[in-house]
Amino acid sequence: MSRGNGVWWRVAWRNLWRNRGRTLVTASALAFGYLAAVVVSGLDDGMGAELIDNGTHLLSGEIQVHAANYLPDRKVNHTIGGDDGVDVSALLRRIDEDPDVTAAAPRVYGGGLVSAGDRTEASLLLGIDPVREPRVTTLLSDMDGGRIPRSAHEVAIGSEMARQLHVTLGDTLVLVAPAADGLLGNDLYRLVGIFHTGTPEVDGSYTILPLADLQSLLDMSPDRIHEIALDVARPSATDAVVARLESTLPTDGGPQVDVRSWRRLRPELAQSVDLMSSMNFLIILIIFGMAVFGVANTMIIGTFERRKEFAVVRALGTTAMGVGRTVVYEGILLGILALAAGALITWPVMVWWHNAPPDLSGFVGGISWAGSRWRPILRVEYSTEIPIYSALALFVTSVVAAVYPAWRATRIPPADALGDR
Amino acid sequence: MKYRALFLLSLRSVGRNMRRSALTAAAMALGLAVLIFSRALADGGHEQWIDSAVRLGTGHVAIQAPDYLETGRLEHRLDAQQVARVTRALADPALSDRIRTWAPRLTVTGLASSASSALPVRIEGVDPARERVFSTLPGQLTEGRYLEPGDRLRAFIGSDMAKRLSLKVGDRFVLTAQTASGDVEGQLMRVAGIFHTGIPETDDGLVHVPIETVRKWLGTPGAATSIAVLLHSSWQTDDVVKVLRSELDGSRGIRVMGWRQASPELDSGVRIDNWGDYVFHIILFAIIALAILNAIMMSVLGRQREFGILQALGLTRVETGWVVMGEGLFLTAVSGLVGMVIGLVVTWGFFRHGIDFSSASSSGWSASGGIINPVIVPIFRFSQIVLSVASIVVIGTLASLYPAVRASKLDVAEAMKFEQ
Amino acid sequence: MNLESITRSPARASRAALIATWCLCALCLTAAPGRAQSAKEIVDRVDRLLRGSSSKGKVQMRIITEHWSRTLDMDVWSLGTDYSLVRVTAPPKEAGMATLKAGQEVWNYLPRVDRTIKVPPSLMMGSWMGSHFTNDDLVKESRMIDDYDITVAFDGERDGVPVWEFNMTPKPEAAVVWGRVVEQVRKADDMPTWVRYYDEDGTLVRTMTFSDYKRMGGRLVPSRMVVVPADKPDESTALIYKQLEFDIPMSKSFFSLRNLRSGG
Repeated sequence: MSRGNGVWWRVAWRNLWRNRGRTLVTASALAFGYLAAVVVSGLDDGMGAELIDNGTHLLSGEIQVHAANYLPDRKVNHTIGGDDGVDVSALLRRIDEDPDVTAAAPRVYGGGLVSAGDRTEASLLLGIDPVREPRVTTLLSDMDGGRIPRSAHEVAIGSEMARQLHVTLGDTLVLVAPAADGLLGNDLYRLVGIFHTGTPEVDGSYTILPLADLQSLLDMSPDRIHEIALDVARPSATDAVVARLESTLPTDGGPQVDVRSWRRLRPELAQSVDLMSSMNFLIILIIFGMAVFGVANTMIIGTFERRKEFAVVRALGTTAMGVGRTVVYEGILLGILALAAGALITWPVMVWWHNAPPDLSGFVGGISWAGSRWRPILRVEYSTEIPIYSALALFVTSVVAAVYPAWRATRIPPADALGDR
Repeated sequence: MKYRALFLLSLRSVGRNMRRSALTAAAMALGLAVLIFSRALADGGHEQWIDSAVRLGTGHVAIQAPDYLETGRLEHRLDAQQVARVTRALADPALSDRIRTWAPRLTVTGLASSASSALPVRIEGVDPARERVFSTLPGQLTEGRYLEPGDRLRAFIGSDMAKRLSLKVGDRFVLTAQTASGDVEGQLMRVAGIFHTGIPETDDGLVHVPIETVRKWLGTPGAATSIAVLLHSSWQTDDVVKVLRSELDGSRGIRVMGWRQASPELDSGVRIDNWGDYVFHIILFAIIALAILNAIMMSVLGRQREFGILQALGLTRVETGWVVMGEGLFLTAVSGLVGMVIGLVVTWGFFRHGIDFSSASSSGWSASGGIINPVIVPIFRFSQIVLSVASIVVIGTLASLYPAVRASKLDVAEAMKFEQ
Repeated sequence: MNLESITRSPARASRAALIATWCLCALCLTAAPGRAQSAKEIVDRVDRLLRGSSSKGKVQMRIITEHWSRTLDMDVWSLGTDYSLVRVTAPPKEAGMATLKAGQEVWNYLPRVDRTIKVPPSLMMGSWMGSHFTNDDLVKESRMIDDYDITVAFDGERDGVPVWEFNMTPKPEAAVVWGRVVEQVRKADDMPTWVRYYDEDGTLVRTMTFSDYKRMGGRLVPSRMVVVPADKPDESTALIYKQLEFDIPMSKSFFSLRNLRSGG
């Protein structure tokens, strides 16, 4: 039997090469169908990631850790670990150890006043780690002038705030804020940076200074922080990171910590992402369906065109089963070859599109990009399941699509098929 | 006469192998139908998203004083005269078929205090009748009712604010804000209704109160900080902005902005989606084109002998090419028509009330109150349909070209020699 | 990110002057003769007596909260309800901090940075230095009878002391948060003993208690006043008057930025 099988495999193999044109056409349908399915679903993930980035990377980060009682009141005393605080560097170390966390930045908040000359504005004071913060958010990436505040008594404000206060780089600002001890913290600072995010609420209200500076203004010990903002490598890992941090961040008997993902921090963003991705899913299904249809259609036409050939083979004494088996084997061989080719063309495309996403601003016509913070550079994300499922589905399609017409062909008396009736 | 004969030959060869023709045509028709459906859905989704967002914000078009967007201060407001001017401009018949509704708003930041606590809030003075149509907030009602025309001291507040101030429907609270003259004045309010959107900043920081009450309280009769315009469709934004700008030309202190300018984050989000849609549809189109191409190629491969016979019967090479070309064009035309009809009928027939994506969300629309309506109604745009049909026709034509050329270059003797 | 939920607290920065005004006003009760008066007349008379006079004094404020406790010594000056100046004298760390209220404007002087800062009016809200006085106590310049309908709720003896208890319910459109305010006044000398603030459901929200009645600046005043929030009975703010003078000669020019800086 195995020997007999070997013969059929050989016949199927030879058949494939006997009509290279047909094989090539069918294989291209499979290979490009595979390429499309994998790229499109990778792109869907990429769009989701970009949308989440777009909504979280300015300020909020993808995950935030607070004391359980911090939100929504944001009282200055509700620091992580309660009034005693925590060992911040140990906490950050533990978070950094998480394989899916790419960066973590500690923060302190205070509400206060910023004053220069006879002008005073209400402001949200944000204390940051000058090294860690830029890895998590882009808040300080677009400077209108100057640099990130790094050392003591340096601050950065937004472009709108600078306009309101009539200040330029190098000017002296007074910060006033009610401190954790109930008193009014106040001190002088030098303006070293002006940032411009394009979002008026941010540019007009944030004052940024090094963490330690704000802690001393607010009379807080270095162990007391309000928030840790995290950046996660892949958005799909967010929930897992939240779950891990919730279980591994004990605060040494202090109050509970609250770990929130962007889904809870920004529910409207979550809805946008969900809606977009479910619509994309439908379009992916359509594309995939179209690919399957294309493969099936091509196989069916190709196999019908071979009715005479089947008839001749039958006339020469091959059983219907034999013909059917050859066709199935052909489908299997073709499927394997084509999908291997598909994988070969898909792989470099994915790698290229992931690592060096093309800037399509010129290509995507009809939309003006002026004034938008977002450039049309969108990368695809890798997935392990999609390529496998796509391959399986297309493979099965190619085999099944060949079997049906072949089966039909074997039902027709050879004479009829030869006579083209 | 000659071409008529050639065309008849084409038709006959279509009919001679119905199965092959049908399969080829099916690829084209289905491709076109799918393209039309998918474009309509993508446009509908897009529109839904923008619509939800601008209704929560300042509309497709926002008309404000020049600095208001940046400062958010009461001093940067439109006075009664400017509001009247804008109102006149909005009544322009050239705009009436594009504007769904518009709503004046007088917004200030202030403090809401109850007996138990105090909270900073954004106080939005609104026209209850207009806002009911404009805003999605009335639809997020959880208790009580939305503001009604004639209300004076009633407020519509968020669920978190109600919780933090311990307020129920009917309870009193005081709004305090700086008036136009610089004084700090309080205003008594009573809770008319409570909403829940799921957005923390909105649920604990936004209050809707009747605009006339705010005008009187702040000493700004007839004024508005923003006039929000809702259009029938977001594509009309640029046109309406242009018309309004020229209409209000020469009125200093009035700034007309489209939603892209007014909300940069939404703009970025929509661009990401837009870009993705483009790429998706290019890929979808490529797959469809490939399916059509393959179907035609596959049929050509098996027809060498047939083409040979045509030439053996006395047709020139060029004429043979025309016959094959005609066949392709006929198939393209028929399947283009069928595909368009199927696409439109299926999309409109089955999905005109929208496709509900609410179950697809892991965060759950029903649980969080939802800001974006998850029911997507496909939108047909004439230009998109034309584009889809044209793409398929071009692909069909190009795909027919190859077998035609091949048929015309055929060596008759060789083709007839052996049964392929 | 909600800016405002954080910036709420800075408002506390600036209420010193208003608190002082209010404190003084509340203390300016004079013994009132005459018995055959309506509740409204008594409250209004007391209310009017709170205004219009100039004063000068030394006050100690003791604040106890969940997170910290503090005692501040302050010098206070006032002229009517429009002008007041408060300067912290102890502890040394805070000494010199001062707040000036002149009309609608409030200024802070910060000795550490040697600057005066005008407080944006939109932020002149909330409590001061974490004390338990609210905006409603402080900003208020209208008279009680403008905002409240006043009736006598009780007229008789409590613990052997003859008192009135006035029931004040806000008029329909008055911009007040309370559902009801009840004040107890001793009949013998018109001294208030307590004020209780209720919400509309009748739940007690806050109690203010007066005690240590002393003669200061020629008047009998309750020299100690304690506010306790009903939901946090362990927290409180106490104001204790050490010294007080009334109707001293003083002009508006006293309440200047120069005086804010230099110490009056």
